[in-house]
Amino acid sequence: MKKTFIILILAIITTGIISHSLWAQKRITVPLRFDEYYTYAEVVEALKALNKAFPKLTKLDLVGKSEEGREIYALTVNNAITGPALEKPGVYVDGNIHGNEIQAGEVALYFLNYILTKYEKNDEITKIVDKNTFYVIPVVNVDGRAHFFEDPNTSSTGRSLRIPKDDDRDGLVNEDFPDDLDGDGNICLMRKRDPFGNLKTDPVDPRLMIPVKPGEKGEWTMIGSEGIDNDGDGRINEDSEGYVDGNRNWGYDWAPEYVQAGAGDYPFSGLGIKAIADYILERPNICMLWAFHNSGGLIVRGPSTKAQGSYNPQDVAVYDYLGKQGERIIPGYRYVIGFKDMYTTYGDFTEWTFMCLGIYGYVGELFMSSQETFRSIEEAKKRESAPDDLMSMLGGSSFDRERLQFNDNLVQGELYRPWKPYKHPTYGDIEIGGWTKMSSRLSAPFMLKDMVHRNAMAIVFSAKHTPEVALDVFEVKEVGKNLYRIRTRLTNSKAIPTMSYHAQKVKLYPEDMLTVTGQNAQVLAGGKLTNIFRNETSYKKHRPGLQFLTIPGFGKVEHQFLVSGKGKVTIKYSSRHAGKREKTVELK
Amino acid sequence: MKQTKLFIIFGIWVLICPAWAAQNQLKFDRYHTPQEIDAALASYASQHPDSMVLHKLTVTPGKRSVAMIEIGPEVKNKKKSLPAVLVAANLEGTIPISSEAALYLIQSLLEKPDAYKDKTWYILPLGNPDAAAKYFAKPLIMDARNARPHNDDKDDQTDEDGVEDLNGDGLITSMRKKDPQGQWLPIPGEPRLMKRADWAKGEKGIYKLYSEGKDNDGDGEYNEDGPGGVNIGVNFPHLFKFFTKDGGPWATSEVESLNLVKFIVRHREIGMTFVLGATNFCLVPPKGGRKGEADLSNIKVPKEIAEFMNIDPEKTYSLKEIMEMVQPLLPPGMEVTEAMLASFLGLGAVVNPLPDDLKFYQELSDKYKEYLKTVKLDGKRQDPEAAKDGSFELWAYYHLGVPSFSMDFWTLPEVKEEKKEGEEITPEKLEKMTNEEFIALGEEKINAFLKSSGAPDNFKAEMVINALKNGMMDTKKMAAMMRQMPMPKGKEGADPKEKALLAFSDTELEGKSFVEWEKFKHPTLGDVEIGGAVPYAYNTPPASMMENLLKGQTPWIMEIAGKMARIGIKETKVEALGGGLYRLSVWVENSGYLPYPTAMGKRNNRILPAIITLEGEGFQIIEGKKRTLIGTIGGHNSELATWIIQANKKGVTLKTSVKTSIAWSDSRQVKLGGAK
Repeated sequence: MKKTFIILILAIITTGIISHSLWAQKRITVPLRFDEYYTYAEVVEALKALNKAFPKLTKLDLVGKSEEGREIYALTVNNAITGPALEKPGVYVDGNIHGNEIQAGEVALYFLNYILTKYEKNDEITKIVDKNTFYVIPVVNVDGRAHFFEDPNTSSTGRSLRIPKDDDRDGLVNEDFPDDLDGDGNICLMRKRDPFGNLKTDPVDPRLMIPVKPGEKGEWTMIGSEGIDNDGDGRINEDSEGYVDGNRNWGYDWAPEYVQAGAGDYPFSGLGIKAIADYILERPNICMLWAFHNSGGLIVRGPSTKAQGSYNPQDVAVYDYLGKQGERIIPGYRYVIGFKDMYTTYGDFTEWTFMCLGIYGYVGELFMSSQETFRSIEEAKKRESAPDDLMSMLGGSSFDRERLQFNDNLVQGELYRPWKPYKHPTYGDIEIGGWTKMSSRLSAPFMLKDMVHRNAMAIVFSAKHTPEVALDVFEVKEVGKNLYRIRTRLTNSKAIPTMSYHAQKVKLYPEDMLTVTGQNAQVLAGGKLTNIFRNETSYKKHRPGLQFLTIPGFGKVEHQFLVSGKGKVTIKYSSRHAGKREKTVELK
Repeated sequence: MKQTKLFIIFGIWVLICPAWAAQNQLKFDRYHTPQEIDAALASYASQHPDSMVLHKLTVTPGKRSVAMIEIGPEVKNKKKSLPAVLVAANLEGTIPISSEAALYLIQSLLEKPDAYKDKTWYILPLGNPDAAAKYFAKPLIMDARNARPHNDDKDDQTDEDGVEDLNGDGLITSMRKKDPQGQWLPIPGEPRLMKRADWAKGEKGIYKLYSEGKDNDGDGEYNEDGPGGVNIGVNFPHLFKFFTKDGGPWATSEVESLNLVKFIVRHREIGMTFVLGATNFCLVPPKGGRKGEADLSNIKVPKEIAEFMNIDPEKTYSLKEIMEMVQPLLPPGMEVTEAMLASFLGLGAVVNPLPDDLKFYQELSDKYKEYLKTVKLDGKRQDPEAAKDGSFELWAYYHLGVPSFSMDFWTLPEVKEEKKEGEEITPEKLEKMTNEEFIALGEEKINAFLKSSGAPDNFKAEMVINALKNGMMDTKKMAAMMRQMPMPKGKEGADPKEKALLAFSDTELEGKSFVEWEKFKHPTLGDVEIGGAVPYAYNTPPASMMENLLKGQTPWIMEIAGKMARIGIKETKVEALGGGLYRLSVWVENSGYLPYPTAMGKRNNRILPAIITLEGEGFQIIEGKKRTLIGTIGGHNSELATWIIQANKKGVTLKTSVKTSIAWSDSRQVKLGGAK
C-alpha cells in the first residue's frame, strides 16, 4: 500500500519533470504556433508575447487569482487612436472553463494572434480591430488547465474548479483521486479477465471489447478508471478534486447541488468565476460573447432550462442569423439550443451574461470524434451516418475501430495505450490500457490549426455584426419664428441591435439616449418619428430633449424635435453597446 | 500587537461610553439604532470574552457594519465540535422589533448558561442596517433597500427622485389628488381609508394616489427613483426572483446577503436557523402548494434522452429506475449519482415543504399555541406574513436542509367583528370537522361561509357539498385552500389590515398611527391632500409594549433549539463468534426530537451522514466498513451498525465513535473480550 503510494508519487513527479523540461524548451514567439497545445504557463507567456509585440493595440490585465493562487489574465485588443475601449462594441471571448477542455484556450489565442498579425495587412480585420474592443481570457479554469497537463488524467477529468469537496460524503475530502498505476501520465482503464464478464475481445481489433450476447461466454470485466481504493471504502477514484463546475456557478438561475451537480455552495463561489464576473461587469460595452468548450461540434445558445421559456423571437432572430452562419464557417458543427439539444443546466455562464447583462453569446463545443476518419471515398459512401458526437461521448462510440485506425496511421499510436498487465492491490492480475488523456475530446495536434482557425472566423463574423451606428441629421427646417424642426436618423447597419430585446423587456439598464441641447435653444417637443410620410410623431411628454431608444439590427430609428431659439444645437447619441455619435447643426 | 491595539481602542471606547461600562443590561423601553446595536454587541463580547466573540461579517454600502455575535463554549476554537443555532434578525431592515428580540435573546442566554453549554449560538441582530437606520432618521420612511445606488427608472440619473416630507410632519405618508382618471375613492363608512374603485359595482374613482414627494427629475413620475438598492431579505438563492425593483440582480448580489451565506457555508456546524422578522414558522408551518415540482417517483424522460436509452418517453419512471437503466449505458469508470442524473434530466428544485417535515412543523406549532396561552400572548392578531421568494428562511430550509424557523413578534390586533363568537368558520375549525359535519351545516351557512372567506361568486354551496360527497374535496383540503386565500376585504371594502391599523391607532394610540388628510399646495400637482398610515405602524408596537412581547416570545427560540437532533451511541454489544472473530453491534441513537436530518436535508444531500468509525490496534475488520455512514436517524430513533472483527489477541479494546457536525458526536470504548 505504502510502497505503491510512493511509486505513484514518483511517477507523477517524474512525468511532471519530463513534461515540464520538454515544454520549457518550446520558444514562444509571435506569430504564435498552433501545432501543439500550450501549457498554462505557456498560455501566459503567449499573452505576454502578444502584448509585447503589439503594445499599442493590446493591454494585458490581471483579472484575478484562482483557488490555488494562479493568475488569470485577459488581453484587451483596442486601437486607442479610433477611440476609448469602453466606447466601442465589446466582444468577449473565453475558453477552458473546464480544466480539461484545453483547445478552447488555443481558439482564443489563435483569434488574438490572427487579428493582431493581420491588422493593417487585411482590410476586413483592420476594420473590426478599429471598430471593436476585444476582451479575451483564453483560460478561465487556470488551475484545471495546469493540473490537466501536470497530473495523470483521462480526457474528461480535471474539469472542476479546485474547491475541495467531499464528493462521497464520508467526512473526508478529496481522498480518493485516480492513480496513474503504470506511470504513463494517463488515467486509462482497468480490465480483468473474467469468464463471467459481460465483454469479449473484438474479433476485428483485439484491443477493443464488445458486449457478449446472451448465452455467450464472457472474457472481460471492466473495473473502471485506473486507480486504487485510496481510502479503503470499497470504491475507486470516487472523491477526487472538486467537484465544482465553473460553468454552473454563475448568478442566473443558479440551483443548489442536489438540483445541479457541480453548482458550488452559492453563485459566484469560485474565486476566478467571481473575478471574471467583476471583470465583465466593469465593461458594459460587451455586447457579443463566445465561451469555448469541448466537445461535440456545437454552437450552443440558451435557454439552458425549459422552465425559463423561449427567448424573445427578436433575440432568436439575431441568434439564428449568427448561429447559422457559424454552421457554415465550421462544417459539421450544429447550431443548437442548450436544454433542448443537449441537457438542462443551471447557473451557466452564457445564461447569466444574456439574461442578467443582455449580452448575446454562444458556447462553442469544439472537437468532433467523427472527424477522426480513416476511410476512402468509396468506404465513406458505404458507411452509416456519422455518429452523434454528444451521444458517442456519453455512450462510447461504435466507431472506435475506425478511430483506432486513425490512431495507428495518422498519429502513430499516440492516442491509445495498448493493454498491459498490472498487479492491482485489490483486483490482482489486471490489464491497463485505453484512450489517453490527449485523445477523445482533443484534436490531434495536426488537426488543431484548421479547428482553431474556423472557430476564430466565427468570432470574426459575429464581431462584424456588432452594432454599427450612424447618426444623420437629415432636416433642419424653420417652421415658425425662431422655431425649427430637426429630424434625425440613427441607423444600425449590422445584425446585432444596440440593446437586446430581453434587456429592453426586463429593463436591465437604460436604453440608448439621444439628446438635443443648445445654449440658446430649447427643445419644446421631441419624439420618435413613427411615420415620416404622414409626419406622425409620438412626442415624449416630459424632458423631450432626452430620448430613449434602441436601434434594431439592420434597422433605423428616426426622431423629430421642435426647437426654439438660435445658434448651435448639439445632437448626441450614446449607447452602452454602440458607442457615441455627435452632430452639431446651426439654427439660422 | 494587533490585540493590544484593539484592546487600547476598546479601552478608549469604554471611557467615552460610560453608560456601557456601568451596566451591561439593555433596557427594552425604546428601539435601538444600528450604532447602538453595534455598540451593545461589542460590549457583550468584551465583557464575556470566554463565552462570546464578535464576527464582523461585512460593511454595507451605507458604511454600516454587519456584526454577528457568537455565544458558546467554543468561542476560542475556529473549528467547532458542537452544533450551532443561527439566528438572523431584521434582514428586511423594516422590522425594528426583530432586532430588539435578538438583543433580548442574547441577554436571556447570558442569564441561562445552560442554553449554550453544549451548543454555539450565532446571533445576527441586524442583517440590513442601511434600511434599519431609516427608522431612526427624519423624515420617517419605511424602505427595505440597502444604500447601494440603483437606477430604478433606467433613465440618465441614479437615485435622483426620492420622497420628500412636504408637509413637514417628519413622516412620509401619501398624497391623494383629485383626477379624472383617478382609481381610488374613500370608503363611505371610513373616509380616512381608500379603496380601489370597482366598476363592476358601479363605483367610480376620484383620486390618484402618490407617495409624498416631488417629481425631482421632471419626468412626470413621482418618487420613482429614490436612494437605495436592494432588500437583503429577498436576496437569497431559493426561488430568487429576477428582474424585480428591489430584489437585486441575482441572489447574494449584496455584501450583506453574500457574507451571511459565506459565513454559514464555512460553519457546517449550523444545524438550525431562526429568522426574526415578518414570518412565523413557529406559529404557521411553511406553506406548500407551489406548482412545478418534480415528482421523483413519476419522471418523464425527455424524448431525445429517452430514445438514446431506448425507453418510452410517454411513460413515467422513478429516479431509481432511470438510474438502473442508465448505469449499463455509461462508459466504464464513469460514476453517476442521483444528483447528477436529476440535473441532467432537468428535474429542478423542491419547492414545497416535504410532508415528513411538515409533521414536526405542525406539532411544534400546536405546542407553541399552547405556550402562548400560558404567557397570555394568544390574542387574535393579524397573520404573520408568508415567506417571500428569495427569503433567508426558505433558503435555510430548502438549500441548507436544516430545520428553519422564524418568528414575528407583533402584528396589529384583529378588529373584533360584530359577528357572534364561535359562529365564524376558521381554517382551524374546518380542519377538525369531518365532511359530514360540514355538510350538516346546511346550504345557507355554507354559502355565508363561502362568501365571507372570499370564494368567487359562482362557487355555491351545492357544488361544494357534491365535491365533498364524491370525494373530490375534503375539509382538510378546504382549510388549506382558505389559508392560501387573500384576506377577505371588510364589509365596507376596507383592507382589514388598514382597518386594524385605524382601530388600534384610535383606541390605543390616540390616533398617532394615522395622519389625517390635509390640504397641501403641491408644486407640480397643485391641490392635493397629504395623509395616511404612519410608516411602521403596521409592524412596530409602541416601545412600551415591547418588553412584555419579547419576554413572552423569545424563550420559545431556546425551547425549539432544545429539540435539535442529538446523535449518540446508545448501546454496544460484542458477541464472540470463535476463532478470534467477534460481531460488534453499535446502536446509534438520535435522542433529540427532530430527525437527523430533515427530510429536505436528506433530499438535498447537504447534511452528511452520521459517520461511525472504529479505532484502535490489534484488530482488523472482516466485514463492514472503516467508515460506516448512516444517512438518516429519525427523532427518538436508533439505527444499528455491525462489523465482524478479528482480534489478534485477547482483551483488545477499541474505540467506536459517531460523528456529525450538526448533531453532536459520541464515542465508547469497547472491549472485545478474549478469543475462545
